Amino acid sequence: MRVIVADDSVLFREGLVRLLSDAGFEVVGQASNADQLDGLIESENPSLVIVDVRMPPTQTDEGLVAAKRIRRQYPEVGVLMLSQYVESHHALDLLSQSPDRVGYLLKDRFADVNEFIDAVHRVGRGGSAVDPLVVSQLLGRKRSRDLIEDLTGRERSVLSLMAEGRSNDAIAWALKISPKTLEAHIGTIYSKLGLEPAGADHRRVLAVLNYLRSS
Amino acid sequence: MTTLQRRAIQGGALAAIALAGVAEISDPSRQWYAVLVGIVPGFSFILAGLFAWSLRPRNRAGLLMIGVGVGLLAGDAALRDRVGQVSTPVELVLDIVSPLWAVMLIHLLLAFPGGRLVSRLDRDVVRSFYAVVPFAALLAVVAGYPVLGQISQPVFDIKVPAAGGIYAACLVIGSVLVIRRWFLGGRARRRSMSPVFWPMIPITVFFLLSTAAVLRGSVTVLATVFPLFLVALPIGILIGLLRSGLDMSSVGDLVVKLSGGLAPEQLQPALAHALHDPSLEVAYWLPEQEWFADLEGKRIDLPAADSERAVSILGDPSSPIAALVYDSSLVEEEQLVDTAAAAVHMALQNAGLQVQLRAQLEEVRQSRARLVEAADHERQRVERDLHDGAQQQLVTLLSSLQVTKKEAVKYSDLETAKLVDANIAELKEALHELRELARGIHPTILTQAGLVPAIRSLSERCPIPVEITGELGDARLAPPVEAALYFVVSEAITNAVRHSKGRSMCVSLRRRSGLAIIEVSDDGVGGADLSIGSGLRGLTDRVAAVGGRLVVKSDKARGTTIRAEVPCA
Repeated sequence: MRVIVADDSVLFREGLVRLLSDAGFEVVGQASNADQLDGLIESENPSLVIVDVRMPPTQTDEGLVAAKRIRRQYPEVGVLMLSQYVESHHALDLLSQSPDRVGYLLKDRFADVNEFIDAVHRVGRGGSAVDPLVVSQLLGRKRSRDLIEDLTGRERSVLSLMAEGRSNDAIAWALKISPKTLEAHIGTIYSKLGLEPAGADHRRVLAVLNYLRSS
Repeated sequence: MTTLQRRAIQGGALAAIALAGVAEISDPSRQWYAVLVGIVPGFSFILAGLFAWSLRPRNRAGLLMIGVGVGLLAGDAALRDRVGQVSTPVELVLDIVSPLWAVMLIHLLLAFPGGRLVSRLDRDVVRSFYAVVPFAALLAVVAGYPVLGQISQPVFDIKVPAAGGIYAACLVIGSVLVIRRWFLGGRARRRSMSPVFWPMIPITVFFLLSTAAVLRGSVTVLATVFPLFLVALPIGILIGLLRSGLDMSSVGDLVVKLSGGLAPEQLQPALAHALHDPSLEVAYWLPEQEWFADLEGKRIDLPAADSERAVSILGDPSSPIAALVYDSSLVEEEQLVDTAAAAVHMALQNAGLQVQLRAQLEEVRQSRARLVEAADHERQRVERDLHDGAQQQLVTLLSSLQVTKKEAVKYSDLETAKLVDANIAELKEALHELRELARGIHPTILTQAGLVPAIRSLSERCPIPVEITGELGDARLAPPVEAALYFVVSEAITNAVRHSKGRSMCVSLRRRSGLAIIEVSDDGVGGADLSIGSGLRGLTDRVAAVGGRLVVKSDKARGTTIRAEVPCA
């Protein structure tokens, strides 16, 4: 899979490139700002770009703006945003444009190489990846009338993995349950929360996140 | 001007009346109406001029009127015939000088009521008239038709085209200037000009009609008696002077108003009313800044002298109390302005002190806003340094630890791999703490996405439920305003979690009539107090720095509500 990495720190970029190369990705370009990134996408035709939210010159949200533009201009290119902070606002902002080929992760996710590589794969193959911190924050958010509290521990785990953008197979494997059991759990969750069953995998991410954020 | 000079002018004017009178009456060939036409306009100007001059000795209008009158008489046919019999040189002088009455009349009209020409253009033009008109008269004399100065002689009928052309041009240019002065002037100017402007209209109409009659070759009664209409002018001027006396009574009204107590903001309208100049401004002196300012403390630059505006400085010029800026036509009403200014002296002094105070407050307000802004910038800078520095380095370190761990596993060095794993876990914890610290210093979501997403982010991490209501939407406010309101909510939430024992909170955001209003309430036990606790105190200062105010209501029954209102354009 052809990948471009955009971050203004050379050290970080190199670490990331090494990790990706070791995992079998083909890193076809490195950019230190949004303009370079645009040029590389044009010339290298990547399947995925990994972008830092903050880049020069203003170090505020250049990466975010670039990511949204890339998703409009090159819908076939996956975008994985990395950031020192994760905010549900940005996650929904990115996902609501279209939940395909998009990811939003904390930079620290490096620490779990397999998890990180899994997320990169997911986004590269058309799915979505939402940082567990965003999900846990939304899930743990205190509400006045909390339907989440009606869920069992297992159901909560299923809900968070769904919100992170994982597929049914991945969830079943992670929780070591059969696909059938998983589907039963999902059905219960939907009915307990009063959610309309939405398509499979990443298609449901947006619905679940929106529910968690607005309820 | 010495008394002797004055007496000489007065005597000369009266002598001119006597001479012209004697000349007219002693000429048996003259019809009675010709005598009237010959002497009445000149007499009226001289007499009105003498009266005006004694009333306002400093005002040149009186002198100019005397000059016009003498010029008119000097052009009188009977007088000139008589003089011609006695002395040809004297007649020659009269022929050359007498047309100047028209120039002096234009001068008078342009300068009325003060007698001083205010605009530079007027001054230059009038000066050139004084040079050119005698020259035209000389041309006429040389050509053998010394009749330029006679009022009954229409300019188009002058036999010497060059002289007639110059004379006519002066009259036309002069009239244009008078009309221009009327239309360019404000209400005060028109009011003061009206005694001479309105009489000029019928005079001009009759002048044109009589000219037309003469050109048609029929000397009508109208053309003959036309000069009598000029009497309207001295009458108008006298009315104008008497009215100035009446204006003094409006100053009396002002004094009555003042004794009733006038607020500073009522001073300017009251003065404007008394001086009949709605454009009048009061500028107060700020001794610290050494400039003039309006009531709000905003700087006013006094207009340069000689423009359309005039300035009177009140009090000692080195440390004035205030300045009045008004339409330059009021310069001519010097006495009126002085009297009004004297009447409001004390009130202006008081108002001036208030203005000084307001200016100082404004300065303090601005410096406070600058301080807070500087602190905000500093917070942002620190956050950026952490983000680009420590946080970035730790994340990079994390990635190299991953590599180390992989290598260790590759060489089956499980002991080392375990150690590195422990390091990774600690590093993750450190990163987490650093992230929370940086977020507390300055939340990037606030600059990236605005107030509402930033408050939502706060609420998502809050251990008690926070409901957000309101219609602020995606609209962005000025960065200092967003920062102030964000920290209000942040501090209020922190306080509520720590002290209120409440079970839920509500943040409401509204925008109403130029204000951003934010209200944070909890259902706890109350007890929040602005006077204790540096947190709330600091918030009050922060909100005040952006021109807003903070209100805290806290009681046992209803919990605590913190409300901030900040102007947002």
